[in-house]
Amino acid sequence: MSATTTRPRLHPAGGPLDRRRRPKSAEPEGAPLLLGHGRLPKVLASGALITFAVLWLLPFVWAIATSFQQEQDVAKPGLNPIKGALTLEPYRVILERGNVPIWAFNSILVAVLVTAITIAISTLAAYGLSRGTFRGRKLLLALTVSSIMVPPQLLIVPLFQEMLAFNLVDTYWAVILPQVVAPMMVFILKRFFDGIPRELEEAARIDGASDLRVFWSIVLPLSRPIVAAVSVFVFIGAWNNFMWPYIVTNDPALMTLPVGLATVKDAYGVVYAQSMASALLAAAPLIIVFLFFQRRIVKSVATTGLGGT
Amino acid sequence: MGRRGFLRWGLAGAGALAAPGLLSGCASPASPSGASSLRVWDLFSGGDGLLMDEMIEAVSTGPDAFDVDRTILEWGASYYTKLAMAAAGGRAPEVAVLHLSRMAGYAPGGLIEPFDLDLLAEFGVEEEHFAPAIWERAQWEGEVFAIPLDTHPFIVFYDKEIAGEAGLLDSEGELAPIGSPEAMYAASEALAEAQGGSGVLFGHIADEAQCWRLFNGLYAQTGAVWELPDGGEPQVDEEAAVRVLTFMTEMFDGRRNPNNLDYIGAMAAFQGSRGAMIFAGEWELPNLRITDRPLGAAPFPQIFDQPAVNADSHSFVLPRQERVDQARRREAHRYVATMLKASYTWASAGHIPAYQPVIAEDRYAELDPQASYAGASEIAVLDPPNWFTGSGSNFQNQMTQPMSAALLGNTSPEAAVARMISASKSLLDQPNPVA
Amino acid sequence: MSTTTSRANATEDGGAPEPRPASSPAARERRTRSTGWLFVLPFALAFGLFMVWPIVQGLWMSFTDESLTLNGTNFVGFDNYAEAFGDPDVWSSLGNTVFFTVITVVPLVVVALGMALLVHSGLAGQWVWRLAYFAPFLLPVTVVTLIWQWLYQPDLGMANQLLDTLGMEPIGWLSDEKFAMWSIAALTVWWTVGFNFLLYLAALQSIPDQLYEAAALDGAGAWRRLFSVTLPQLSRTTALVGMLQVLASLKVFDQIFILTKGGPNNSTRPILEYIYDVGFTGYRLGYASAISYLFFALIIIISIAQLRFFPRQEG
Repeated sequence: MSATTTRPRLHPAGGPLDRRRRPKSAEPEGAPLLLGHGRLPKVLASGALITFAVLWLLPFVWAIATSFQQEQDVAKPGLNPIKGALTLEPYRVILERGNVPIWAFNSILVAVLVTAITIAISTLAAYGLSRGTFRGRKLLLALTVSSIMVPPQLLIVPLFQEMLAFNLVDTYWAVILPQVVAPMMVFILKRFFDGIPRELEEAARIDGASDLRVFWSIVLPLSRPIVAAVSVFVFIGAWNNFMWPYIVTNDPALMTLPVGLATVKDAYGVVYAQSMASALLAAAPLIIVFLFFQRRIVKSVATTGLGGT
Repeated sequence: MGRRGFLRWGLAGAGALAAPGLLSGCASPASPSGASSLRVWDLFSGGDGLLMDEMIEAVSTGPDAFDVDRTILEWGASYYTKLAMAAAGGRAPEVAVLHLSRMAGYAPGGLIEPFDLDLLAEFGVEEEHFAPAIWERAQWEGEVFAIPLDTHPFIVFYDKEIAGEAGLLDSEGELAPIGSPEAMYAASEALAEAQGGSGVLFGHIADEAQCWRLFNGLYAQTGAVWELPDGGEPQVDEEAAVRVLTFMTEMFDGRRNPNNLDYIGAMAAFQGSRGAMIFAGEWELPNLRITDRPLGAAPFPQIFDQPAVNADSHSFVLPRQERVDQARRREAHRYVATMLKASYTWASAGHIPAYQPVIAEDRYAELDPQASYAGASEIAVLDPPNWFTGSGSNFQNQMTQPMSAALLGNTSPEAAVARMISASKSLLDQPNPVA
Repeated sequence: MSTTTSRANATEDGGAPEPRPASSPAARERRTRSTGWLFVLPFALAFGLFMVWPIVQGLWMSFTDESLTLNGTNFVGFDNYAEAFGDPDVWSSLGNTVFFTVITVVPLVVVALGMALLVHSGLAGQWVWRLAYFAPFLLPVTVVTLIWQWLYQPDLGMANQLLDTLGMEPIGWLSDEKFAMWSIAALTVWWTVGFNFLLYLAALQSIPDQLYEAAALDGAGAWRRLFSVTLPQLSRTTALVGMLQVLASLKVFDQIFILTKGGPNNSTRPILEYIYDVGFTGYRLGYASAISYLFFALIIIISIAQLRFFPRQEG
C-alpha cells in the first residue's frame, strides 16, 4: 500500500446504496477513500472480490447444472457438473407432480397475508403509541420493547398448545396469526413517527380531520419509505420461515415451500436432479423480485436490520 | 400493489380475524383433491414406495374404486412426530401406517382410535387371518388399534453358490440349521474362505438401529425378556445380554468379519461380491436382488436356545379425528381390508404379508426367496412395549450406541450392557406422558 | 370522516383556517384519549394472544406434566427444572449450540466486513457483487439444505469430487461426527453472511467523507485510513452486528434439523432441537417448556452481558 499524500477526490455523499452516487465518468478513479491510488491494491481487491463471488456463486452453479441433467447422468462421477445432455425433464416431473406449485401458492398466500396484517396492525399501533395518551400506553410500549428480546422459537410449545385449544392446527390461520406479532417493527415505526413534526397533523385536525384520516392521509404518505422497508423485511421473514409452519402444518396441502420440500418425500427416494429443480423453483420468486427491486430490498434490510437507524 | 391497496388488504385481513366462521372454514382451499378423497400417510419410499403406489393404483380403479390422496413422509422419528402432532391437532389423515412396535406410544394417549372389528369382518378381515403373536400386539385394553399389513423380520441373505461351496446348505438347498455361536463362527469362516473375501457382513457405524435389531432377536433366542415395566426398573437378564453381545463382538471383531462397515457400506460390499452373507432386514431384498448373485434368504438362524427373530410390522391405524365422519371411517375400514387382500404385491418387496390367506396362496409359495423366510413371522420378536420404544425411536438408538462401541472394541460387552440397562432405566424414569 | 365534515372542509378551502392555539391542544388531547387506544387495539390483541399468553402459558406448563396426548395434566412443581439440570442431553445440546455459535459468529462478522469493505472500495460491477453475496440470504432454508445436501453428498457431491480430484480421501461431511458441525457452519456462513454484509455496507456509507479527507491531509495512506478512520467508525456497527449474530446463532435449528436431525449420534443437535424432540417427539410439552425457559434465561443473561460489554457509543 503506497502511502500517498495526494488529497483524495471529493466524493458526493452516499455510497453504493445511493443511486445518485457516482457518475459513470468517475469510474476510472475508483474509490480512493478506501484504496490507495496504486495499481496493486486495486488488483488485490478485485481478486478478493472475484474469489468471494465465485465461492458464493459456485453452489448455485452446481445446483443449476444438476437440475438440467437426466437422473442417470447425475450419478456419474466427475467435477464437471454437466455430465450428460441438458434436459428439462426434472422440471417437467416436478411441475407435473404438482406439489411445488401448491406449496408456492401457499407460500405466497401466507407471506402476503402475514405482511399485510403485520403492516396494518403495526403501523396503527406505532402511531397510537407515538401520539396516543390513553391509559396503559407506557406499559404497552414497555412490554412491546422488552418482548423484542423473546425469541419466537421458544414459544413453539405453548403456541402449539394454544393452536390445539383453538382447534386451528392444520389451518392457514395457525401458520399466519402468530407471525403477525412483530414488536421490533412496531418499535421501528414508532420511532419514525416520533420524528414526524406534529405541526402537519395539527393543521389537518384544525380542518376537522379525524385521527384515522390524519393518519391515513398525512402520516402514512410521509412514511412510505419506512413502511416499504418494514414490509420487505416482514415479507422475506414470512417467506423463509420454517420452524413454526413446520410445526403447525401436517397436511401437505397446507404446507409452504420450505416446509413441504423438507417434509414430503416421493416414492422414488432421493433423486438429485429433481430435488435441485424443485429447490431452484422455490428459490426463483424471491431472487427475481430481488433482481428488480435490488436497491429497495438492500436498503430495507439495512435500515430495518439495524433497528431503523 | 400501491399503498392504499396494501392497507385495504391489511384491513380486510384484520376483518377476517374477527370472523370466526372464516377461521375454521378456510382449512384447505388448496387441497389437490376433493373432500371425498381418503387421505393416507405412509413412510415408504424407494422400492416399498413404488410398490405402495402400485397397490394404491390397483384399488383406485373399478366400480368400488378408492379416491386416495397419498402422502409420503420421511421414515423415522420425524414421521412419528408428525403423526402424533396431526392426531393431537384433530385433522389427521383417515389412515396412516404405523410400526406395530410404536403402538404403545399412540393407543394409550388417544392418538389413534380402535378399529371396528364388525365392520372389518364385513369387508372380509378377521382375527383368524393373522398370526396370533402379531394380533396380540395389535391390541390395547381389549381393543384392536392396528391392523398389520406385513411382518418384516431381520434375516440373513446369502450367496447360494458360495454357501453351497462352504457346505452350509441342506438337501433342499436352504440354509441348514446352525445352532450355536461356535457353529456360526465356523460357518462364517467357511463362507469367507469360499468367497475369498468377507464371510458375514453387518453395517452398524453411525446407524441408529442395526445393533439393536441383531441383539433383540438373539437375546430372545436365549429365552430372556427385556422388560420395561411402567414405573418400575428394567428387568434384564444381564448374563444373557452379555452372552449375546459377546457373540456379536466375536463375530464382528475386525478379523473374523469386518466391524467397521456402515449400513450402505455393508450393502455395497454384498452387492459387489465382497462378502458371502449379510445380516439385514428383508426390506433390502429389492436392493440386493439387482445384482446377478444367486440370492438365498433365511429367517435369522437359531444361535442360542430357541428360535426367534427380531421383526416389526407395518400396520394401518386410524389417527384421532376431532370430528369423526362415520362415512369416511367406514371407507377407511374398507380401504384397510382391501389393501390387506392385495398384499401379494407387497410381498414382492420382501415383506411377509400379515394377512395369512395371501401366504396360503400357491403363487406365494413360488416367491423366491420370500417363501424361504415366511416362517419368521411366527417367531417374531418386537421391541419391549412402552411408549418410548419401537422402530425409529430414541430407545433403539440409545441401545444401539453402546453396542456399536463394543463392536468397534471401544468398550467391553459387560460395560456396554451396563450402559444399555442404565439408558433403559433413565427412559423408564421419565414421567410417562401417555399414561 | 363523516360527509358533513368533508363538505365543511371544502367550503373553508378558500380562506386560511383560523388559528385556535388555545383550544387546539385540548381538543387533540381529548380526541387522542378517546381514539388512541383504538389504534393499538388490533396489535394489542394479537400481542396478547400470540406473545403474552404463550409466555405465561409456557411458564405454567413448565411446572406441569402437560403431554401432547389427551391425558390429564398435573402440577409437578420444580420437577421439570430439576430434571433439566440433571439431564445430560440438555447439557450436550447446549454445548453444541454454544460450539456452533462460537464457530459461526467470527466468520459471519469478519467475512461480512471484508466483503463490505471490498465492495465499498468502489470497484466496477457493484450490483454483481451485491447479488452474489446477498442472494443466498433470500433462499428459504430448505432450498439451502437441498443444495448443500447435494454438495456434501458422499459419492457424487461437489465437495468429495473436489477432494477426489486433488487425490484426497472422501469425507463424510454430514455423517462424520468430526466434520458435521463444521459442514453446517460453512453452509450457514454462505447462507446468512449477506445480511451482515448489507449492514456493514450501509454503515460504511454513512461515514462522512470529511474524516477521510482530514486523514489524508494528515498524510495517512490507505492502510492507515482503514485503521484510523474506517474501523473505528464501524465499531458501533460491529458491536451491533456481533450481538445480533450471537443471538441468531444461539437460535440455530432449521438447517441442522433438516440436514442431520441432530446426528450423527446427536453431535449436532442444538438445544432448540432438543426442545422439539422432548416436546413433540417425546410428547412431554411440560418438560420442553421448562428447558425453553432455562434457555430463555441464558439468552437474557447473554444479552445483558453484551450490552454491558459493548458500552453504547454515540454514532
